[in-house]
Amino acid sequence: MRGIGKTGDRTAPVATVFRRELATVLRTPGYGVLALGLFVVLGGTLAVGGGGRTGFVPAVVDLLSVTEVVVPLAAFVVGYRALLVDAESGELAVIRTYPVSVAGYVAGVVLARTLAFLAIVVVPYALIGGVVWATAAPDTGIFATHSGVDSPLLYLRFLGLLVPFGAAYLSLATAVSAVASSRRGAVAIAVLALVAGVLGGDLALLRSLASGTPPSAIPGLLASAPNGAFRGLVFEGVIGVSFAPAGEFVDVGRAVGALLGWTVGGLVVSTMSLAYGDRIGVLFEGVRARLPSP
Amino acid sequence: MAIIDPYGERFGRAFLVVAVLAVLAGVATAGAYAADPSTATPDPVAYDDAVELGLSSETDELMAGSARIPRVQVFYSQLQYVVGYNGIESFATTLDGDRTERQFGYPLVVYVETFDDGNPGVTDGGLFEAERATEWVPADDAAYVVGSAASSPAGETVVPFSERANAERFAAEHGGRVVDWRAVRDRSFDVDSAATVRSMAPARWVEADERIADATAKERSGEDGGGDRVGDVIVVGEDAPTIDAAARAAPPNATVVVPPGTYEETVTVNESVTIAGEDARVRGDGNGSVIAVRAPNVTLSGLSIDGVGNRTRDPEAAREAAEEDGTWDTNIQLGYGHGDAGILAVDAPGLLVDDVAVETNASGVLLREGSDAVIRDLRVDGSDDWRDGFMGVTGMESRVTVTDSRFEGGRDGVYLHRADGSVIRNSTFVGNRYGTHLMYTGDALIADNAFRNAEFGGITVMTRPSGNAIVGNDVRDSGAGIQASGTRSYVGYNTLADNGLGFSTSARGSLYERNVAVDNEVGAHATTVVPSSRVVANDFVGNDRHAEAGPGALRVWAAGDRGNYWEGANVGLHEPGERAYRPTAPVDAALHREPAAAAVRESPAAALLDRLYGTVPGARSGSIVDPSPAPEPYAPERVAAASDPDSAPIRPDWREELDPATTAATNGMNTHDRNATNETVSQVATAGPRRPADAEGRR
Repeated sequence: MRGIGKTGDRTAPVATVFRRELATVLRTPGYGVLALGLFVVLGGTLAVGGGGRTGFVPAVVDLLSVTEVVVPLAAFVVGYRALLVDAESGELAVIRTYPVSVAGYVAGVVLARTLAFLAIVVVPYALIGGVVWATAAPDTGIFATHSGVDSPLLYLRFLGLLVPFGAAYLSLATAVSAVASSRRGAVAIAVLALVAGVLGGDLALLRSLASGTPPSAIPGLLASAPNGAFRGLVFEGVIGVSFAPAGEFVDVGRAVGALLGWTVGGLVVSTMSLAYGDRIGVLFEGVRARLPSP
Repeated sequence: MAIIDPYGERFGRAFLVVAVLAVLAGVATAGAYAADPSTATPDPVAYDDAVELGLSSETDELMAGSARIPRVQVFYSQLQYVVGYNGIESFATTLDGDRTERQFGYPLVVYVETFDDGNPGVTDGGLFEAERATEWVPADDAAYVVGSAASSPAGETVVPFSERANAERFAAEHGGRVVDWRAVRDRSFDVDSAATVRSMAPARWVEADERIADATAKERSGEDGGGDRVGDVIVVGEDAPTIDAAARAAPPNATVVVPPGTYEETVTVNESVTIAGEDARVRGDGNGSVIAVRAPNVTLSGLSIDGVGNRTRDPEAAREAAEEDGTWDTNIQLGYGHGDAGILAVDAPGLLVDDVAVETNASGVLLREGSDAVIRDLRVDGSDDWRDGFMGVTGMESRVTVTDSRFEGGRDGVYLHRADGSVIRNSTFVGNRYGTHLMYTGDALIADNAFRNAEFGGITVMTRPSGNAIVGNDVRDSGAGIQASGTRSYVGYNTLADNGLGFSTSARGSLYERNVAVDNEVGAHATTVVPSSRVVANDFVGNDRHAEAGPGALRVWAAGDRGNYWEGANVGLHEPGERAYRPTAPVDAALHREPAAAAVRESPAAALLDRLYGTVPGARSGSIVDPSPAPEPYAPERVAAASDPDSAPIRPDWREELDPATTAATNGMNTHDRNATNETVSQVATAGPRRPADAEGRR
């Protein structure tokens, strides 16, 4: 408990859980492979798309669609079993015999998983940014060139947006791991949530537009789902800079709020599920018992 | 693993490092949001390093005198290259349309060159002149004189000053008024464009008709090229022993009749006479030129010429001139303009060469110093290997009209240097190096010619002239079809088959339309680094590669919703024209050659790439996209004819289609006919999309 334990009795259990979870993550070599795979996918996208040859903005344009799929995917891979394993093996019950609150336990696990997620996702993206920085150059040096609005700062903004976007999905993934009762169930729910998250929000938006929602509602609606909020913020803060100032692509406040909301929501669901899951189960069984059996 | 062991001794420190890094990253990211990259203002560059657009600075009237075109340099948000515009108005007009912004983004910063201390004025010809430009200043800070007496070769010009007082002084002297940058941007300018050149092509053809009619008018030479001229008739062999003696003895307006036979002599013509042969052959001594003309309004007809000297140029004269103070191109003029020729004309305006054949290893006809000539039915038989010969027609500072002629072998069929307004039409070129080769020659018309087996290319325009029209030519089996550089050029209705390269889009601010590229190795090559031309309504069929692109920003080859026809572009599941076609992408390039490519193209990966291309086009490089490929060829009958190697030269009826008189008449009829049926109305409606395209083309 030396080092971190000093900070106080309330945070000490969280730190312990955090260490334990970090040890679990570090002992999973699959995550290193995941980061490597992500780097290859991103590099391949840039190589085929060609945007990275000329600058950061075209590189972000090339990466945007891929990012919307791979970042949620990575988040689910990192998080879909985070809270499930201990519950399944009974270790959670043991841990609960120590003075560790459910919230503290969830916080410790999620913190460690977030750190892992950042290492797995942000590091490959940052490396790709470094490659673009090193290699992007005009086709020909005969003429005077300049970088336009293109700048590493814009890529840094993009990296910054990856964090809340990934955090929202990681939090959803931990919620899935808390709700699921078996590993297979977790995989099924995770896939469902992933598809619903990546496609669902935008499909719902398209559907509501088709059924007569006024276009002026788009910035607000877009900001509601994590993918829409992320995409809107990338347009607003990164890609849109190279277009003439033309108004907003998304309701920024609402988009940031939505990403935070999804993150907090996922944590709340996880905690509630672990804290009251048994009681709900009992309640559920009770209701079922009163129903006439078929 | 050893470094971050969660239960190790040093974990606390490691964790602290990570935490500090995370905080730093957070601060950097926050900083990235706080800084605004769109406010970056690069400093002006040396203009020669910018990619030049706008008017040409290499026209004859600009290079020869002190006239200038005020210049602009622009840094666009999505384009890596600094763009220089000749003429503030040519930049201002590009801002009118959204095309520039779509392709390059918005201008981050604009600099104009100012003339406060450059002694600005107006030439006798009405062009703006100045000794020098003073400095580059941001466009917002300068004051501009509009509507003054100063103009550019293409029309109105705007003159910038960094001090408003200097602008007002200029306006007081030369008229006009002083306005700020906002007013210049919002102003619409009356300047010529490639569309102007297109609309003028039929008129140039008519003008050539008039020149020919003038030169062959009855009072000069009569319909059959001899005999009816007002004045004396001298018959060689009866009235004088040799053609030369007859020409020397002849008074102005006389006709020298040359009976059939071979005459071994060289002839000098110093008077305005007609030399009319009938099966007459003039044979030189193999030294120098055979017939030298040094008088205006001379007619040479019905002659065959051989025995021309072998000297193709005069290095001696070129060296001497380089030492003396000559004009800027004295070197070339003397080098190329002082070789031997079948017919040499110096300061001989109004020359008519009609029904003449020349066998030569030097030039066929060499025109110099204002020898504005009409050449009809000339046949030049040059060397088998172009390295051994020279030009069929060499024109220097002479406005040349060539029609119904044939040039076989030799270096270039027709070579023109500073020969503005020349017309080359209805002629045949076989086995030259270049068929027609223009240098510093603008406002020319090259139309309805046939080129075969040209080693390097059918038509080439070098340097940066402006306003050339290359229309209705048929180039086959050559190194390249048409390579025209310059500005404001019109390349339309040409048929290019079985060449190494169909055409290149080297000319800037130009219009390439209704060309047919069939069975070439490469249909079209995009060369300019910053795209500024329109390439639309061309047909690409059967080429190994339909199009290639050199370095530079993405080229969008379409105008409005009209694209080009690409064989193979519509293979697959999509409605024709629904899906963008990228001739430079590997899969799209294979569509017309390999049916399986269509299946590859339907893959999610290809669909994703399709989406990526075309976004931020200015920052993409080395490729071409046609967002709306045409479902059918624009000129199916020309495509079919070009696929047949034995077909006669194709001459599309472009004069009818381009003639503004007929176009206006049809439009007027439709819109003003009150009894127009829905069908005619819908025809007008479908023709609609073409018109905004044309209007944009005028910019």
